[in-house]
Amino acid sequence: MRYRVRHITTYTYGAPVSLCYNMAHLLPRDTHNQRCLNQRVQINPPPVYRNEGEDYFGNQTFYFSIQEAHKKLVIDVLSDFEIFPIDLTMWQQNNTTTCGQLRANLKMPMTPQMRMAKEFLMDSSQIRRSEELKAYAQSTFSDDKPLIKAALEFTHKIFTEFKFDPSTTTVATPLEQVLKQRSGVCQDFAHLAIGCLRSVGIPARYISGYLETLPPPGQEKLVGADASHAWFSIFVPELGWVEFDPTNDVMPNDQHIVTAWGRDYADVTPLQGVIFEGGGSQQLAVSVDVKRLL
Amino acid sequence: MQSQTGLLTAPTVDASSTTKAPTFSSYGQPTNAYDEAFKEDRQPRPHWQDVLASVEKLGPEGRIASERRVQRILREDGATYNLSSDPLSPSVWELDLIPNIITSTDWSVIETGLKQRSALFDLIYKDLYGPQELLKNGTIPAEIIFGHPDFLRQCHNLTTPGQHDLLMHAVDLVRDKNGLFQVIGDRTQVPNGAGYALENRAVISRVFPILFRNNQVQRISSFFHAFKGMLSKLTSAWTDTPRIVVLTPGAYSSSYFEQAYQANYMGFPLVQGSDLTVRNGAVWMKSLNGLARVDVILRRVEDARCDQAELRADSMLGVPGLLEVARAGNVVIANPLGSGLLESPVLLKYLPAISQFLTGQQLALPSVPTWWAGDPMDLEYITNHINQLIIKPIARRADKKSIYGHTLDEKQCQETIEKIKKTPHLYVAQSYIPGAMSPIFDNGQLQAAPTMLRGFTMSDQDGYSVMPGGLSRVSQCDDDMIVSNLSKSKSKDTWVLSTQPLSNKVASNDQAILHDEAVQTNLPSRVVENLFWMGRYAERAEISMRLLRTLFKQMNGIDPLPIESRRLLLEMASRQTGCLPGFTKADDEMITNPDKELISIIIDNKRPGSVKANLHAMLNCGEQVKEMLSADTRIIINELRDHIHELDRAYTNGLPSAPEESLDSLVTSLLALSGLNHESMLRGLDWTFQEIGRRTERAIQTATLLRAALTKSLPEPEQQQILESVLLSVEALISFRRRYRNRSRVAYGLDLLMIDGTNPRSLIYQVDQLRKYIQELPRNDVPAAGLSPENRLVIKSLTDIQLADLEVIAAVDRTTNTRTELESLMTQLLEQLEQFTVLISDKYFDHTEGPQPLSMANWETSL
Repeated sequence: MRYRVRHITTYTYGAPVSLCYNMAHLLPRDTHNQRCLNQRVQINPPPVYRNEGEDYFGNQTFYFSIQEAHKKLVIDVLSDFEIFPIDLTMWQQNNTTTCGQLRANLKMPMTPQMRMAKEFLMDSSQIRRSEELKAYAQSTFSDDKPLIKAALEFTHKIFTEFKFDPSTTTVATPLEQVLKQRSGVCQDFAHLAIGCLRSVGIPARYISGYLETLPPPGQEKLVGADASHAWFSIFVPELGWVEFDPTNDVMPNDQHIVTAWGRDYADVTPLQGVIFEGGGSQQLAVSVDVKRLL
Repeated sequence: MQSQTGLLTAPTVDASSTTKAPTFSSYGQPTNAYDEAFKEDRQPRPHWQDVLASVEKLGPEGRIASERRVQRILREDGATYNLSSDPLSPSVWELDLIPNIITSTDWSVIETGLKQRSALFDLIYKDLYGPQELLKNGTIPAEIIFGHPDFLRQCHNLTTPGQHDLLMHAVDLVRDKNGLFQVIGDRTQVPNGAGYALENRAVISRVFPILFRNNQVQRISSFFHAFKGMLSKLTSAWTDTPRIVVLTPGAYSSSYFEQAYQANYMGFPLVQGSDLTVRNGAVWMKSLNGLARVDVILRRVEDARCDQAELRADSMLGVPGLLEVARAGNVVIANPLGSGLLESPVLLKYLPAISQFLTGQQLALPSVPTWWAGDPMDLEYITNHINQLIIKPIARRADKKSIYGHTLDEKQCQETIEKIKKTPHLYVAQSYIPGAMSPIFDNGQLQAAPTMLRGFTMSDQDGYSVMPGGLSRVSQCDDDMIVSNLSKSKSKDTWVLSTQPLSNKVASNDQAILHDEAVQTNLPSRVVENLFWMGRYAERAEISMRLLRTLFKQMNGIDPLPIESRRLLLEMASRQTGCLPGFTKADDEMITNPDKELISIIIDNKRPGSVKANLHAMLNCGEQVKEMLSADTRIIINELRDHIHELDRAYTNGLPSAPEESLDSLVTSLLALSGLNHESMLRGLDWTFQEIGRRTERAIQTATLLRAALTKSLPEPEQQQILESVLLSVEALISFRRRYRNRSRVAYGLDLLMIDGTNPRSLIYQVDQLRKYIQELPRNDVPAAGLSPENRLVIKSLTDIQLADLEVIAAVDRTTNTRTELESLMTQLLEQLEQFTVLISDKYFDHTEGPQPLSMANWETSL
């Protein structure tokens, strides 16, 4: 499947900004089933310095700095890529690793992959393990249950027990509150799931990306289209990282486009940095358009 | 060699013999530690004999005199540590009279060990910020690094030009009871102490020049020269003449003295984060001549605070965008960002295995036994042996102190264990090794104190080279714990003995406190701004004090002061200092009993404009640019501090009996300061700006004084009294009397104070000087037609003064009984002068606001 994603970010400032330095995670990366065909970034006003790179997690980064006074900053990213479908049913049927086996393996890791997976088992800046999170997930991830099955159940649990409601949270809402109020947006659900998984000893990471905007004929449009989306993946021995989308109760396949992954949102913030002078009231507008290419 | 009997024999603790030497009476035999200076038979070790004998020969008075000399030199050099933000009470660096002496045999063990260790740490940096093989194969449990707060993922794949990433390294060593050296810690992100070692050497070699020469002590200055050479070569890809700067967290960081000292010694400008800016993918220094490219940053700011754009956004010390410049290879940062991770004490546990894996070698110098609480077996050991261990947080933080197990009672032990068990992966435990004993002087007595040595290495072509010396520290606490930070301990010069005689050429290097390169060229504009303000505050303080002195003299004079004169003089004091309303709205009671307000004008430093507030502000500016001040200037500033303390004491119980005298010594110090500037400062831009500050301020103060004193017309003899007070306070009364005999007309006074170009305190003299100085300032903007605005203002002021008709100015408007022309001319001049300072400041000083983080609010809430 081929897609074209256009992601436009617009910052509007109350007073002119004289200087800015920004690190962007806006260029989708390659994954085991996703390949970037071409990319184009346009920034206005034009940056005096720009540099593409790769971060610690292997995500594509785009760094730029602007030295002319501006009240409006527009970052327009266009990328084309191809996604190959995965036979998820086979994964679900063939992988029999249980939660208990994974936990035991992590305690005495014998392979480099297992050791490195521990990075996603630990607290990160926006996700802390806790007893409350553990209590919410513990029964689902019992020792004898196959890992993928448990994760599917858990994804379904969040999908059914939480209400999608953008008015109830911000980027700063703590997980405990999300858990209590049982509502939030895709980023909250992803963070919540990761926090729960880590609390029960399952390595989990955060994925940011997009969803196909126009559904195929006869299918319903998925929530989170026309905007950035977020979900999570867990570490499954033999298979590697397997993705789940609790906002839509699915295992992402060829309709989910991955931009970047990390321990949490803070590792893959779409745009971070500082501005000098001006600023004042900052306003942010994001528009995303995902099209299927023929 | 000296005799080995009698005074040189250290008695054992239980020796009750009356013949024992008073000097060494309290020098006990260490029970469970190695003794650096004495053998087990209490005879001095051969390499200590000469030093101990010489110290002995000094006698009690001689030793105390030498100790005082050490303290005096340190104070004059401005050697401080842990400076509180109070400019009046810096704590002086402590240095013991007796050096720590290390034989060449012992030294070669240390040298070999440190070289190997630094090379290994460089490889660890490369691996953890690169392929992470150490984690993949389990040499280091991955969760240690992944959960470590100093592991900065943003620094992944960061490289430094040249062979090494780790360009310098400091290692703390102690000698165990068997005399073997062990490493107890590493400093990698901002390894400090080398500058203090240099200062210690400079002081001790001055106090004991002959002893120093006779002992063939290895010189350490070449290490600094080599270090400078090493930094200069790293930028060869783009320049052969790199600009190297020292990035300081600021004048109130605890080791600012060392940073300034080292910067001066090597000839590097000392800059703060806000002095630098990232433009066009490179780092630049904001200087008076515009932006100047920076190629190497020797940083004293910790990792996470170096770049607000990618690291801690709340940092006040960083340079936004710096990390990306380093990533792109357009600046060298020593040490590279992220190197704080290597300081973690947890690495010591795994170091033998790491060395085996990365180099196939065994460690030449062992590290102190270390346990990681994140390992269940280690945690059990820690729980059972907590009394014998030091508990350290896994990441070094100023606010997180080590816990010494042997100082804890039963309850505290339990609490500590509980704390560790909550987050075991964040704690490390180490064996407690008290360190070898060495002799120190304490109140003229020789005492034994546990000693620790910090060694320093730097990257070199064939590996690492080691400073032949180091920073020795001794603990002065009663419980013999080694303090691992620099505070609360006393330091020692460290003598590494050479087996070969040293050439004199090298020897002379150590003595000189080099200012070998003109640091003046291309100063950061912040430095110049501080000098400008230092000049202004000094002048402000001086003129207020002069007026107050005159006021006290007049009020306490033989003849009682008429009430009108008294009121006006007091009002002048309020207007001159700007401590308003003060006496300007005073009732008769306040005029009769002015003491309370006068005391406040002098010593209330919370009141802007008071004498003390101005002096504080001046000292603060001086602290900010300490590295620019000459040794003589520092002496005067120290005196000034002492005088301020005296002032406080004199005023504790109200006005002193002769208040005018209380200000004399302060005025004299300020005069000495400005005299020194004139006589010994190079005429660089720093001097010019300080002078512009002084001259502008003196003009402003003089105009203020004339306006306050002479606007109101008084009858004789009050008018004469006021005029004479003004003349007296600006030291012009004698000239005035000589010139005009007894004719004390206001117009004559104005002649002397306004338009007499030969009077260095006249208005015209100040403005004429300003006219000359601004010709020398750099013109970095596009040349516009005609004069610059600041130039125009100065010339206008000059002309206004020259064209003033003194008879008209001095004339009294009979309806208001005031000199309206005088008032309006002075007001106009004051406005022009204030405007002038604004123009200078806008043009030459930096006014960039700090960075603010890009808002992320509402991101993705639309999902």
